[in-house]
Formats: sequence, structure tokens, C-alpha cells
Amino acid sequence: MSRRAASKRAVAIGMAALLAIPACGGEDAATRATAGKVALALNWKPEPEFGGLYEAQRMDAFAKRGITLELTGGPGAPVVQMVEAGKVEFGIAAADEVVLARDRGADIVAVFATYQTNPQGIMVHAARGLHSLADVFAAGGTLAVEPGVAYTKFFEKHYDLTKMKIVPYGYSIAPFLGDPTLAQQVFVTAEPIAARRQGADPQVFLIAESGFNPYAAVVITTGARARAETKRLADFVAALREGWRGYLDDPTLANALMGQLNKEMDADTFRLGAAAQQPLIEDAFAKQSGVGAMSLERWATLGRQLQELGLIGAAPAPRDCFVQVETLQSPPEPLR
Amino acid sequence: MKPRFVETFVPPAATFLLTTAAAEFGIRAAGVSPLLLPTPSAVARAALQHAPTLLPALAMTAQAVAIGLALSIALGLLVAIALSTSRWVERAFYPYAIFFQIVPIVAIAPLLVIWFGYGMRAVVAAAFIVSVFPVIANSLAGLLSVDPALRDLFRLYGASGFARLWKLSLPWALPNVLTGLRIAAGLAVIGAIVGEFVGGGGLGVVVLEAMRQQRTDLVFAAVLHAAALGLALFAAVNATSHFALRRWHTQETEP
Repeated sequence: MSRRAASKRAVAIGMAALLAIPACGGEDAATRATAGKVALALNWKPEPEFGGLYEAQRMDAFAKRGITLELTGGPGAPVVQMVEAGKVEFGIAAADEVVLARDRGADIVAVFATYQTNPQGIMVHAARGLHSLADVFAAGGTLAVEPGVAYTKFFEKHYDLTKMKIVPYGYSIAPFLGDPTLAQQVFVTAEPIAARRQGADPQVFLIAESGFNPYAAVVITTGARARAETKRLADFVAALREGWRGYLDDPTLANALMGQLNKEMDADTFRLGAAAQQPLIEDAFAKQSGVGAMSLERWATLGRQLQELGLIGAAPAPRDCFVQVETLQSPPEPLR
Repeated sequence: MKPRFVETFVPPAATFLLTTAAAEFGIRAAGVSPLLLPTPSAVARAALQHAPTLLPALAMTAQAVAIGLALSIALGLLVAIALSTSRWVERAFYPYAIFFQIVPIVAIAPLLVIWFGYGMRAVVAAAFIVSVFPVIANSLAGLLSVDPALRDLFRLYGASGFARLWKLSLPWALPNVLTGLRIAAGLAVIGAIVGEFVGGGGLGVVVLEAMRQQRTDLVFAAVLHAAALGLALFAAVNATSHFALRRWHTQETEP
């Protein structure tokens, strides 16, 4: 290793250490690699969206392939940065984050897309009698969304949002419960179920209805790692797919495991969330090509949409955005 | 005038140039990804390119900070005066003033939206909550430290309560009040940004958007705008302090 490369590596490790302080302790990537361990940074608490990961852990799908997986991260973890800095081998992100990262010069690739249909939606009170996203925006009121999310920009371009007062979403449904004209972003596996339990009558319109449908809960890694460690990556994805197969067939045990780690979500919500996300994960395409598979066409569409929204300079080559591990020899024909 | 100017501005300017240059070359030489740490020149470019977003956001944050800080000064002083009227009142309430000072604003920020609704009012409330206690604590310390001999003198001459407050206690406490204001000015900016994270608007939302869109350079640019706002307020308090105190407090007359 040259001096320059060594100093680059020192800085990268230093940065990674800084970034990882809130996320995980101790071990760096080099130590893990020698022990056959990999780390994956989650971007949220253990919830049904990560069901397949926990099921794979529970059924030793990783272990029997010689992989020791450590799950780290959590809400607010800078997952893309942690992966890029090499602090963790894998992370969970949304497909639009992958394209943004590539545009910003980071070599991030997707290797597994949990949701074929994006599980995010806009929740309103059913009593308002709205029938579509267009209805929601035409009716006006307050819209609580995370500032800067791509789909808000997409909405602004394709709908008339002038009647909406857009405010930050603070990860609490309390404002929704208190305001009959408030609409807010949700993950179909979480907030609508919580709102119903609190006595509200929520109705959800998926953002995918607008035509903006990036893959979600995407497992990411660096392009360099994907190219260099094809076999290990194939094993990893195979284990992940096995875990998801198990979770889709019976989420009970993995839900119990996650419930111990995330006491804020009760068993009922886990059960309902797992049921709600099933059709978004295993649609016709996933049934044919396998859970987590991705299509070139979908990445091309996303790149084009993000470019039209001005969020990226030039749309990245869709082929660079993802690695279809299980079919490295022959990429599947895009369905749809 | 000239040597004074050199003395005041050259050392910080030199520090600024040296650290900026070191950061620029260090980051480039180490090949750090712009996603992790942008170079100062990239931050400057982002600031220029996004000026149409940053400047209105800065104005919005500044407005909330100004209102929050003004409320803090007015109410903080009144509370300090009330607490200084008697030992019993002070003992009854001062511990709670300290307690509220310790309440982490980040933790209660989401509640502000429920209490005050989205928008400017929640942001002003956040700026007020974090900035009022330094005003109370420092003003009270000043009001309670009045020279007992002077207090006796005022009593001997039969000065009214108002005269004692207006002509003795408040002028005596002024340096402490201004120290409280210096602390409050910086905190009000932090409070407003945290308030904007939940209530919307201003530099707070620019930071969130830039984070979400992986524009680390723009995050830094927005943070620098917020810091500049805090610095401007600090300078304003210092200027006030200079004009108000240069006649009589040694702290301001000594070079």
C-alpha cells in the first residue's frame, strides 16, 4: 500500500469512526472481514419492513453460509455515508437515495429491493371521503412530510399543491389525530395501524399511485465490494431471500424477536404490518424473478424522474445502480 | 484607530485563512468523499448557487430569533426583577427556573407543534424557551449583587422602591444582563433551528432537505448562515454593551 493510499485509508477510517459513534461500537471493517463478519446498518427500528433480515438471522440462513451478520444503525443513522465510508458493508436505503448518492459521486449500488411497490403513502381521515391523491391535494389542508423527500417534489410537479400547507413530519401521529384536515406521510406497516388503534379511521393512498415508485428498503453496498466479492455477495443475498421467504410464509417468530428489540410496537401491530406489506413485496414480478429482484426499466424510470425534478444532474446509467446477484450471468427480462 | 483595527481583525482573519486552506488541501489530499465532508470551496459554491433559497430562509429564521429573543429579554428581566424583590420569592421560584433551563429543547420540540401549531409561533416558542433562562439567571445574579453600602445610602435618603430599582439595581446589574444576552443570543439561534425542524420554515428546513438530498455542501452552507446569524446578534449585544456602559463600567472603558 502506498503512503498516499495509506493516508487515504486512515482518513476514511477516521471519518467512519466519527460517523459510526451513534450507530455501533468497536470493531472496524477490517477486523470484521477477517472474522467472516459483516455489518448492516438499518435506517429504522426493528419493524416488519426488516422482517426477512431478522427471520434470516433467526433461522441461521446467514450462519449456514459462513456469514456472521451484525445489525446496527437505526432511526437517523447516516446509512449511505456509513456504507460509503466502509464502516458497514451493507445498509438499508431507498432506491432514490441510491441514485442521489451516485450523482453525488458515491459508488453505491443496490443488491436487493425488499418492496416492489413503495410502502409509503399519504394518510388522511376516511371521513373526508377522498378517493385519490389528486383528491387529497385538491381538498387542501395541512400535509406533514419529511422535508426534502423526492416524492413531495414529484407531487409538486404533477399536482396542484397550492392549497396545501406543507409542514415537517415529526414522526408522531398526534397532530394527525388532533386535526381532521391533516394529511401525513406514512409507512403502510406502521402509522395507519397505530392511528386505527388510537380510535382514528385512517385511509391511505400509496405514493406509487402518482407514478413515482422507487424500490424501498433496498439493501445497498459499494460497487467496489459488489464487484470484488461476488461469491460472498451471492451468499448474502441468497440468505436474505431465504429469510424473506420464511417471513412471508410465517412472520410469527421473527415478529416476536423484533418485538423484544422494539418494545414500542406491540404484537398485534407487527402482525397487521406484516400482512399489509405482503402484496407490496411479493407482486407478480417478484413471484417470477424472486423476492428482492429488480428490473433495469424501473431504475431507468427513477433516474429519469429524479433528473426531471432537478434533484440530480444527469440520470445515471440504470445498469450501474444495482447488481442482480442471483442472475449475474443473465439479467432478467423486465416485466411490466 | 489604524493599529487597533489591525489588532482586532488580523488575528482572526489569519486563523480563518489558515484553517480554511488547511481544510481545503487536507480534504482534497485525503480524497474524502464530498458526501462525508465537503471542501470549503464546495461549501462556498453551494452557498452562492443556493443563495435564492438560503437568504429568504435566513431572513425567516432571523425574524423568529428576533421575536423570541425580544420576548426573552422582556419577560426574563421582569421575572428576574420579581425574583429579586424578596429572598422568599427567589427561594420559591429560582430552583424551577434552573430546572426549566435544563429541559432539553430537542425532546420537547415536537410538543411545541401540538401546543402552538405549525409555523412561526412554534419556532418563536423554541427560541424563547432556550434563551429566557440565561437572561433570568444572569440578571438575577446582577440584581442581587448590588453593593450593600449603596443600598443603605438609597434607603437613608428615603428613595422609593422604583427609584432604587431604576437608579441603582438595574444600572448595577447591566453588565450581568448583557452577559445573559450574549449567551441568550447564541442559544436563540439554536432554539429556532430546532423549532424549525418540527415547525417548518427557515434554515432548519433547508438543513433537513439538504441532508435528505445528500447535499452535504448545502448542509454546511446553511449551518454557516445560522452561525453568522448568531455572530451578528452577539456583535449587536456587544455594541449595545459598549454604548451603554462605556461611561461607567471599567469592563468597557479599559482597552
